[in-house]
Amino acid sequence: MKTEILEKNTGLNKQASRYPRHRQLIMKGNYAAAEAAKLCRVGFVPAYPITPQTTIVERLSEMVSSGEMDAKYTNMDSEHSAFAAALGAALGGERVFTATAGQGLFYAHEVLHAIAHFRLPMVIANVGRPSIPWNIWSDQSDSLAQRDTGWVQFYGESSQEVLDTMIQSYLLAEQLNLPVMVVLDAFYQSHTSENVWVPDIDLVDEFLPAKVPGPMSIDIDNPKAFGGLMPPEHYNKLNYTYWRDAIQVEEKAEQIARDFATLFGREYHNVEAINIGPQTKLVLITVSSITSTARGVIKKYPDIGLLKIRLFKPFPKASVQEALSVLPKDAILAPVERNYMGDREGAIFQEMQRALYGMPFKMYDFYAGAGGKDVPPVTIEKIIHLARTNPKEVNWVDIS
Amino acid sequence: MKPANDFLIRDEQVFSGALSCRGCGWSLLVRHLASLLGPDTVYVLPASCFSIISGPYPLAELKANVVHTLFAAAPATATGIRAALDRQGKTKTNVVVLAGDGGTFDIGLQALSGAAARSENIIYIVNNNGAYMNTGIQTSTATPYGAVTTTNPGEGYKKSWPKDLMGIIAAHNLPYAATCSLAFMEDFREKVTRTKNTEGFRLLMIDGPCPPGHKTEPGDSIHIARLAVETRLFPLFEIVRQHYKLTYKPESFLPVEECLKYQGRFRHLFREENKAMLEDIQEHTDNTWNRLLALEKLANVIA
Repeated sequence: MKTEILEKNTGLNKQASRYPRHRQLIMKGNYAAAEAAKLCRVGFVPAYPITPQTTIVERLSEMVSSGEMDAKYTNMDSEHSAFAAALGAALGGERVFTATAGQGLFYAHEVLHAIAHFRLPMVIANVGRPSIPWNIWSDQSDSLAQRDTGWVQFYGESSQEVLDTMIQSYLLAEQLNLPVMVVLDAFYQSHTSENVWVPDIDLVDEFLPAKVPGPMSIDIDNPKAFGGLMPPEHYNKLNYTYWRDAIQVEEKAEQIARDFATLFGREYHNVEAINIGPQTKLVLITVSSITSTARGVIKKYPDIGLLKIRLFKPFPKASVQEALSVLPKDAILAPVERNYMGDREGAIFQEMQRALYGMPFKMYDFYAGAGGKDVPPVTIEKIIHLARTNPKEVNWVDIS
Repeated sequence: MKPANDFLIRDEQVFSGALSCRGCGWSLLVRHLASLLGPDTVYVLPASCFSIISGPYPLAELKANVVHTLFAAAPATATGIRAALDRQGKTKTNVVVLAGDGGTFDIGLQALSGAAARSENIIYIVNNNGAYMNTGIQTSTATPYGAVTTTNPGEGYKKSWPKDLMGIIAAHNLPYAATCSLAFMEDFREKVTRTKNTEGFRLLMIDGPCPPGHKTEPGDSIHIARLAVETRLFPLFEIVRQHYKLTYKPESFLPVEECLKYQGRFRHLFREENKAMLEDIQEHTDNTWNRLLALEKLANVIA
């Protein structure tokens, strides 16, 4: 297989000092995810192909077979099996990675619960696409439908963010014994080439310690039984300990992002507030690549802000509240939904509403972009116009 | 076959006390299996009777590591465990799936086929008791023709033949697969030893006595298991790279009734109006046996 992705962008070499111990490459989002798995020294990749994830596993298989990546790569028989193999290897104490999309994630749903309840640290990439009727385009319904599996979820705005977030996610996963899903947009990210600063692997090593089997791993000399029938009082307590760790995610993720910024020079937060202040009258709320479009549009509106949600699960309630605390009481919030969850409001609205309980803001929901429907600047303009004039509580934009 | 008297377990790998029903085959099977495989073993259990028998939290029957996993996912989970152990240099550790027929013939078949086709270095043990016994005797595709279950009740007894799992497994070109009976313990132990000493994906299918499911007397379990072999309802054979070899050929063929009559699940077959069904079962059994003989001959021709 020809590697046409990792072309060196020699024209930008003069900028190479911007991030020491990095190389600047042009790569698609999917290759950024594969590259991150390599940089994190993943030892096992069970894989099953699905559009638009395929180039992630192709790239990983290529890197493993060429010796560029020291890992075992296994072509599995389904996503259910791929995630179950990831479960097995993680229980064995290995650092594992797999990637999927849409139906693949839906199919693995049962295993997602098991991985989470086994408290297995791992990171996966999901390239968001919705359910049948067949649609391979960008949509977050697949991963949002896994909100309640116990997985941490990050949504990446750019290929750079996908790569950086995966590195941070392994640390978060291994510190809290929780699985993490990093979600990227189909095609807008997965198959779009961007400039990406790729850190040297020894820099990643300084940030992310080597994975070694722990006291809760399979150990021949100290055998254990994992996952047998658990009576109610024990099961209840198990969930309590899970909850105790899950509620630390928000703070821990910020801490890890801070440490990452110190070492790598790029800053991330659970949420990002853009132009949110006392002068702001309307705040768009976005995840993933729609954020980039909205960033461009709001530049000409001094009274419009943007709240980007990067950590989606557990929903960063405190971060959201803090970001919005400076708003005037009559500010309006407008989530832009690239999902449909079978309910009246979209997933962002639902989560925002519980984060906003007790806060005075009015919120109107805007469905735009499900099934990969493009959300260009003009659609963002329409949402702004609608939000400022005569919004319904729930609005579908651009339905012809 | 000469009676053997050196079956005594020398290296006990289970704790005393098991939660199996009286006359169940699982405990006997696992006790011998575990003693032969030794402590350097990781067991992987999909949902099955043995999930319970092996001990609810915090109990454990087996002394080795046990990983309970999802019904459809045992061979895939085992694949991951194998990968982790291999990465850590523990290539000699046995990774062993202990599954029932539902988890093998039905919901786990895809994962089983996948692991077998990848030649994963895994041992797969299927205790075939011919139904979903743990959930209360519901029909699986291993359930014999004519058997009554709670989902084929009364006159709705099962009217289709069970899946030929060993044929499916043979098609995967495995280094070793065999059928075993707890009534032929020496043969069983030899097959386990051979399995242990072979590399790659290996499968043993054991005829699983189940008094509550088969409606039999617990004390008759081994006797009925022996009759299943003697009537050729459960032939004992090995498959090495698609080459079949019968490991036991009964000297005189007992009619199938001799085994079926002890089992309440077949009681209705002995009514006058169902005589043709018994004949069907005999004919199917004869055909299967003759087919196995032909496959054995074929193996000799090719070899």
